[in-house]
Amino acid sequence: MEKMTLSSKTREAQSPTERWMRYLGFPGGILLFLIILFLPPGAGLSASAQSGAACFALALVWWVTEPFPTYVTSLVLMLLLLVTRTSNAKAIMDVLGMEVIWLNLLAFILSSMLVKTRLAKRMALWLVVRFGHKATWALLAFLVLQLVLAPLIPATAARCVMTLPLMIVVATIYGSTEATPNAFGKNLMLLNLACISVLSSVTMTGSSANLIAVGLIQNMGGHRVYYMDWMRVGAPVAILTMVLMWLLGQKLLFRMKPEEQVPQVEGGLDLVRRQYEAMGPLGFQEKKAIAIFGLVLFLWMTDIFHMRWFGVEISAPFAALLGAVIVLFPRWGILSWAEADIPWHLLIFSAGAYAGGLALDDTGAAEWGVRMLFGGMNLKGVPFGVTYTVVISVMMYSHLLTTSKTVRTLIMIPIIITLAKALGWNPLSLALPAALCIDWVVGLPISGKPNVVLFSTNQFTVSDNFKYGMMTCTIGVLILVLSGATWFHWLGITPSFWAVAP
Amino acid sequence: MTLMRLLLIMLLPAALAAATKIESYAVQLHATQEGQGQGTVTLSLSDCTPGMLVVPLGFSAPEALKIEESPVGVKLELGPRNGMTSLHFHFPEGMPAKAILRFSFAVKQVFQVLQLAPGEKSTLPKGSRLFRHAFVNTQETPIGTYRLELLLPEGFMAQAVREQLPKPKKHEVGPRVLLSKAAGHQTATLQFTDLHQGDDTSMVLELVPTQRSIGWLLAGLLLAGLYLVKFKDLIAKSRPVPAA
Repeated sequence: MEKMTLSSKTREAQSPTERWMRYLGFPGGILLFLIILFLPPGAGLSASAQSGAACFALALVWWVTEPFPTYVTSLVLMLLLLVTRTSNAKAIMDVLGMEVIWLNLLAFILSSMLVKTRLAKRMALWLVVRFGHKATWALLAFLVLQLVLAPLIPATAARCVMTLPLMIVVATIYGSTEATPNAFGKNLMLLNLACISVLSSVTMTGSSANLIAVGLIQNMGGHRVYYMDWMRVGAPVAILTMVLMWLLGQKLLFRMKPEEQVPQVEGGLDLVRRQYEAMGPLGFQEKKAIAIFGLVLFLWMTDIFHMRWFGVEISAPFAALLGAVIVLFPRWGILSWAEADIPWHLLIFSAGAYAGGLALDDTGAAEWGVRMLFGGMNLKGVPFGVTYTVVISVMMYSHLLTTSKTVRTLIMIPIIITLAKALGWNPLSLALPAALCIDWVVGLPISGKPNVVLFSTNQFTVSDNFKYGMMTCTIGVLILVLSGATWFHWLGITPSFWAVAP
Repeated sequence: MTLMRLLLIMLLPAALAAATKIESYAVQLHATQEGQGQGTVTLSLSDCTPGMLVVPLGFSAPEALKIEESPVGVKLELGPRNGMTSLHFHFPEGMPAKAILRFSFAVKQVFQVLQLAPGEKSTLPKGSRLFRHAFVNTQETPIGTYRLELLLPEGFMAQAVREQLPKPKKHEVGPRVLLSKAAGHQTATLQFTDLHQGDDTSMVLELVPTQRSIGWLLAGLLLAGLYLVKFKDLIAKSRPVPAA
């Protein structure tokens, strides 16, 4: 429980199916790469976009089937992007200097501090003693925690990293470790993964991409969306989806055995309570850790005031950098560099994944894919409900094509506004519900920054993530369609689902 | 001097109101594998007034200039203007207010010829071509929409759009350069609206042969085959126990 090392070892294939996937995944990835590379050139696709799509498809197959550790696949992807002339060397190498990589690195220093001072253990024990009589309530406690944090800290990676030590210790208490992950661990990690992203759509300030969408709706669609306008449509959809996923995750996707539903430490919940009591009052180092973490948290929460207060904006990575400097400060700090547990394999995996995702964006492959999706459908003269369902579905699942919410917003929202105008619908009726899907980047470990961080815990596989993510998105689509026909219609946002534009 | 200024200010709106307007300026350029180009320009004009209309051309040395469609009496000649190759149209008396002008021209070399100094590293692989096009509205007459459609030579496709300027504004949907297909050829279309005097737009396109290297196929199949043979133990029923 004291240990929070993120292993770089490849997870052993468990079942015969997994072993066959691993065996066939390697040639399968190569085959898919060759097929896409040698396809006749698409009308609107450049050669670099086509080779980018081929490289990404190969990496995706290898990440899912895991013939190699995921970080080796990332290294192969980076090499392929160069030799196929999809990206240049500078663009590929620069990825390791991206904000998300720095934030991961610095946040793991802060997490190491929480583990070393045993503050993470204290918080986890408290959480289990308070809510952990049953695993299901412990999971719900995390849902509530993420719901509270979402409007306070817009940076999803920051929210993920600050709750990660807690997740790992709680998972360990319920017998799920990186070496022997169980259904509780999968539920815990994937519920948090989905909550962190999906609950960002509760408010329009939940992510910068939401604000970009609001700007586009105002500039191109001519409708101003206010904070409460967004919240009264976004909050019910996001919260209801996550409550359903909390239930369905345990009951349908990853059913927990009876022994996984209670703390698996010897002596059960009593021992957990005794361990918590044995920790005694907060020690000096713990108080120091709280102060340092509190300072970083304060800077994360108050970023909109920084310019006024300090004359400079201290972004999320730099707030973490300040915390890391204090943590590593000789004599006054808490950690030495050697004690900081930095998962370099995760950073390499992230770098490769981002290089691949950026290549899809930069070469126009992602945009081409989205245009093809919309262009292939004739939505003229069909009832509004059909158009609405198509738009919401494309928007929701298109996150699998790109790793950037901002890029996806900049590509999709203008297309949707233009489409609405061309079909004779109020742009708000399609663009606002579509904008609610921006943050739902839950399908793959590379779809969002929190996904990358949580994947490193080794508690779930790429296919587990895909299953959970697809179910989350599908429930989201169903609730959005249902809301579009009822709640949004009563609010005056959408017309009748049976209406046909003149 | 003050009186002159006053007169100019009074006359300027009248002169502007009377000026010919260019609603759209569309260029279609067919490029051959050898690098020659055949261009067709279609100008949609409104408020045409008799006299001379000077229009910039984004190609430096056009040849075989020929009017394909125009109202009777319109004459065309080439001439430099503000340091750029320009087209000088002479409109006769009785020119209709709305008119379509279509003319064709040939270009000897549409692709950029890269001259490498001894020892200098090449930035393009063998067989690649670079198409560079820039258009500046050097004249007072604003242009509603400028559009250049390049039809790539047979056997070539766009490797990447290396430059597309200016960056699309917030209200513009889609990229500045759009790749598409027409008459069996891949096309690259540069489009920019509302060009006033001094506004410019440009694109740089890298072209590569459509045929991919067979080396990819051989290397890929070889690697896949080797893996299937050497990693067969992954699916063996009795797997060797890994050393502790």
